[in-house]
Formats: sequence, structure tokens, C-alpha cells
Amino acid sequence: MLGQNRLQRIACHLWAGFKEPLRLLVTQRSLLAVLIRRDMQVRTSGTVLGGIWMLAQPALQVLALWFLLDFVLRVRFPGQVAFVDYFLLGMLPWLMVSEIISRSLSVLSEFGELYQRSVFPVRVLPLLPILFSGLVYGVVYTLIAGLLTGPAGALGAALLVLALLLWLMPLAYLMAVLGLFVRDLRQIAPFALTMILYLTPIMYMPDMLPEGLRAFLVLNPFADWMALIHAVLQDMAWSSGNLWRPLLLWLLLLASAWKLFLRSEPHIREEL
Amino acid sequence: MTAISLRGVGKSYALYDHTLDRIKEIVTGHPRHRTRVALHPIDLEIGRGEVVGLIGRNGAGKSTLLKLVAGTLTPSSGEIRVDGQVSALLELGTGFHHDLTGRENVYLGGAVRGLSVREIDRLYPGIVEFAGLAEFMEQPVKTFSSGMLVRLAFALATCIEPDILIIDEALSVGDAAFAHKSFERIMGFKNDGKTILFCSHSMYQVEAICNRVIWLHEGAVRMVGEPAAVIAAYNAYLDSLNGGAGQAPAEVAAPAPEPAAVALEPGRPARLLDVQVSAGPHSGRSLEIVSHQSDLKIRIRFVSDPAIPCPRLAVTISGPDGRIISSTGNWVDGLEIRRDSAGQAEVTVCFPRLALLKGQYWLNVYLLSHEGIFPFDQAELVAELQVRQQTLEQGIVSLPRTWSQAPLPA
Repeated sequence: MLGQNRLQRIACHLWAGFKEPLRLLVTQRSLLAVLIRRDMQVRTSGTVLGGIWMLAQPALQVLALWFLLDFVLRVRFPGQVAFVDYFLLGMLPWLMVSEIISRSLSVLSEFGELYQRSVFPVRVLPLLPILFSGLVYGVVYTLIAGLLTGPAGALGAALLVLALLLWLMPLAYLMAVLGLFVRDLRQIAPFALTMILYLTPIMYMPDMLPEGLRAFLVLNPFADWMALIHAVLQDMAWSSGNLWRPLLLWLLLLASAWKLFLRSEPHIREEL
Repeated sequence: MTAISLRGVGKSYALYDHTLDRIKEIVTGHPRHRTRVALHPIDLEIGRGEVVGLIGRNGAGKSTLLKLVAGTLTPSSGEIRVDGQVSALLELGTGFHHDLTGRENVYLGGAVRGLSVREIDRLYPGIVEFAGLAEFMEQPVKTFSSGMLVRLAFALATCIEPDILIIDEALSVGDAAFAHKSFERIMGFKNDGKTILFCSHSMYQVEAICNRVIWLHEGAVRMVGEPAAVIAAYNAYLDSLNGGAGQAPAEVAAPAPEPAAVALEPGRPARLLDVQVSAGPHSGRSLEIVSHQSDLKIRIRFVSDPAIPCPRLAVTISGPDGRIISSTGNWVDGLEIRRDSAGQAEVTVCFPRLALLKGQYWLNVYLLSHEGIFPFDQAELVAELQVRQQTLEQGIVSLPRTWSQAPLPA
């Protein structure tokens, strides 16, 4: 009986963690649209190209890395897989993930003046990095995947971005709370994200990693995501572990992150 | 019908000794903080259409209570029920993103209040017109002055016709013309039966607007009731803090006389031009009065925008403790002031054979809006009256009376 109650409670938390952010997406769509527009204006204000930079910036980032790896270092993969395809299809989602995590850590501080002394739904704020980066990278990624792999690839890429954004949702809520209350995390985030990038098979294939380091791939959910991305878009090998490991982590975060955020809410208004 | 219901609502702020204590507490659920009580648990019911004023000294918990009702603070205990759409004007310039333009902030504020873009499109011209900021709306609000911020905030907060309006001292900032306009909008809300929760240090305004007043003291309700009774008790408390005798006013002030033709500064609907006080043949700022003999005359000249309804004049006489002993206004005594085409008028009020008893008194003059509530201008401590008397009567005022005697038995 006790176990059943506990299971029911966990199921309730899971459902709330999934449903509530999505409900906010619908009920607060006007507010989120204003905030996203504001983000775009802030990032491109005073530039000649304006909104074009939203798409050009990630494209140029990828171009620079491609130039380094393909032309300067002349990285080549064994077999039929073209390095540039593999690299582009892995790097763009990573840039999106990295931007969402970085922004989530600071999003509550960034908008403190809005919610601390006026009526403002704080709960929508962690959705902002997801929506903003999802919009920017989603478009670029779908276009590039379409160019590299055809229309089916574009559809697959769009679905992958959607799935990745959904997966990142609880992580964004968790990072938002931790970023506000443990500010050291914001300092260490650039280093941590760089290390995760190196430990994720984006600029190399999993097989190219030294034997002793391959265990890290199992502990790294982003390595699983890369395997799934390349499986969908490039028909590369994947294992069931690539699916259930991120899924388990997601369920774990789904149940806890939303609850933690709700518990933090009164503190959030008083923290800054 | 209850609009706002508070049951055992209290607020304590948590104080943490170490940076990580707060997150440890959130994660584990075990308290790791000291508390400072801002508001002790209170019960309160505010009916629909009621205008409730909050008074109290700084730190009494007024702003905390307003924030709890508005929803920007979470109560540490108790339950708050609010029935209807709330709009709050809590602190100057809050709720704005300083990098965004005035226009973008209006859309952001509207979206926060649950309005769709189409609804905000419809309301936008009215907001800009009321705020009087049409030429500044495309500039970031970080370039706005404090007066401009409060104008935009007030226009935004009141444009959506909320069921419940919460205002925390916001009207004390900004120019007189806008403050008056805002005041009229609040009075309009009151007349429309909206619920208003209002916090002000102006006892005159609180008494004039509110149906009920709550006096908060050190985070607890000290008194609730009719405005006149609560304000009288609050004033008595303030007097007691000054040792019962109050503090003598520091200096006598009066507007310097101005030439006959004067223009009003932009944003100022009316102002006093000159106040002259005389007792018998003597005039000046410090006058000797003989009780029951001297006629006290106050000649007041003012200018107002001819386009607005004629302002009202009020005079108060206060004692050394600041407490008002007597007051009057032109409308109280049935005088309808007429202005010339430039909006100027000169009015004299006379207190024949002043019946104050010996002591020191001060005169204050107020130029009020046509409803007699909003002060356009004031000349406080405009004259000091030193009253002496030739009888042994005690007290501060000699009341009119008659004596009679029963016929003696034959």
C-alpha cells in the first residue's frame, strides 16, 4: 500500500513536471512571444543585418570550427562517413544545448527587476532559453540537415530538435534554480560545457576515443543523443542504451526539477 | 461580496548566514535560516467596492501586506483569496525592463496581465495618451525620469480596468498635473465600485478617499475602522512619540509675493501666488493676537489653469504639537470662488475676534483640487500667532456659550 502510494506520488510529480511547463507555453504564449522578440532585438540592435544575425551567428560558429578541423587539421573519418556531414549534424544541436544550459543558469537573475517587485509569472522564465535557442537553431539545423540529407532528413532534424528541447525542459528548470542560488555554477559553466563538448563524440566518432575513455560515453547523456541523432540522420549504429539512459535521466529530472522549482519560487523573489 | 480575504496571513523574511544555506534548505526541506517577522498573522476581509487605506510608520508592514495581496510575495503562513483581476502599482518603475522601450514595456506589461497582443493594440493609444509620453515611447525606459516612469506605470496599471487596484504611495512622485489626473482616475474607480487598497502617508487623502482604514504597527494590525477614528488614534500615537507636546515647527514659510501676471509652469494646474496674514493693523509672519479682540485676516492669491474647474482653498490653524485645532474651506462656508480670464483670484478669509486662548499657533493654507482632496499647492506654517488673553479662561479655544440662572424663589 505504502509502495503504491509512493508510486502514485512519483507519477503525479512526473505528470506535473511534463504537463505544467507545456501548459505555461500555451497560457503565457503572449508573454513568451514578447520576451522572445525582446531577446532578438537586444541581440541584434544597432546592427545593419538585424535579424539575419540570429541565423548567421550559429552558422559562422560552425563554419569556423569546420575550417579548423577539415582544412587546417585535416580530420578524416574512416569508412563512408563524410566528416563535414557528421560534424555539422552533431555540432549544431550541441551549440543549442550549450546555449540553453548557459542561459538557464542566468535567466532568473536577468529578469529579476521584472518579477521581484511586480506581479510576474516567474515560472515562464526557464522556458525562454529553450524557446529562443530552439527557434534559432531549429531553423538552421533543419535547413542544413535538409541540404545534407534531403527532405526526409529535414523532417527528422526538426523532430530531433523538438525531442531534444522537450528533454532539456526539466534540465532548464533545474539549472535556473541552481544558477540563482549557487552562483559559482555560472563561473564554472563555460569550462564544464567545453569539457562535455570534448567528451561528446561531435568532432570525432565514438570509436576514435581511446579505450580507457569510452566509459565516459555511457555516463554522458549527450553522447547518447549524438548516437541517436546520427542514427536518425545518417543511419549510423546505435544501441538501446542510447535511448533508455537519456530517457531515465529525463524522467528523473522531470519528477524532481519542477517540484524543486515550485519549492524555490518564494525564495526566488527574495534572493536578488 | 468579499474581494480580498486573508486568513492568518503572515510574512517572515528568511535570513541566511551562508550563501549555500538557502539552496540546502530548498533541497532538503530542513530550515537553515533565522527569521525576521515583517507581518504577524492577520485576518482581514475586504468587500467588493470598498476603498481601504493602510496607514502606519515606515516598517509597519504596509508594503509587505500590499505585496502579499498583489501576489509578488508568498505568505509564510495563512491563506489569501483574491476574487477578481488585480492590478498593482507597488514601487516606482518596477515591472519594467529597463533595456526595452516604453512601447515594448507596455506590451510586456500587458502580456504579464494576460492580455493578447490584439487587446494591447487596442489599449495602447489610451495608455500613451494618459501617460502623456507619446514622443518618448520608442526610447528605452532607462532614459525615462522617475516622473515619466510612474506616469507610464500608472497608465498601464489602470488601463485594464482591474477589479482590484493596489497602490503603494505611487502618487507621491510625478508632477502635480499628472498626480491630479491619476487621482481623478482613482476616484473614478471608486465611483465605479472597484475595490481599492491604498497606502499613503497623507492622512488627509486617506480620510477623504477611504471607507475604512487599517493602522499597522510593527507588523500587526493596531486598529481597523472608520477613517476619522483610526486616523485620530494614529495621530494621537504620533503625538505621544513626541513626548505628548509634539515638535514645534522649525520655521515660518510663505510663498514670496509674485507679480500680478504670472504663467503656470508646464504640468502644474494651479499654485499659490501670495499669502498675507494680518491681525488688526499689523501684518507679517509673526503676529501678536489678543484673544477675543483681534480680527485675523488671511488674503490669498492664486493662479490656476482656466481650463480646469476652480480649485478650492482651505486654511488650518494648528497647535505647537502640529495637531489641527480648526480648519475651514471656501466650500465649507459657502463661498464660490470666481477667477479672472487668466485663472487668477484673490480671496480673503477673516476670523473676527479670534477666539483662540493664550498660546502659540500656526497657520497653513492649502490650494486643493475642485473635489477638495488633491493638494495642488500648500503654504504651511505661513504665519505664527502668539495669542495672549486678558481673562483666566483655560484651554485652547473659547467656545461660544450662554449662561442663565434659574429665578430666585420669591
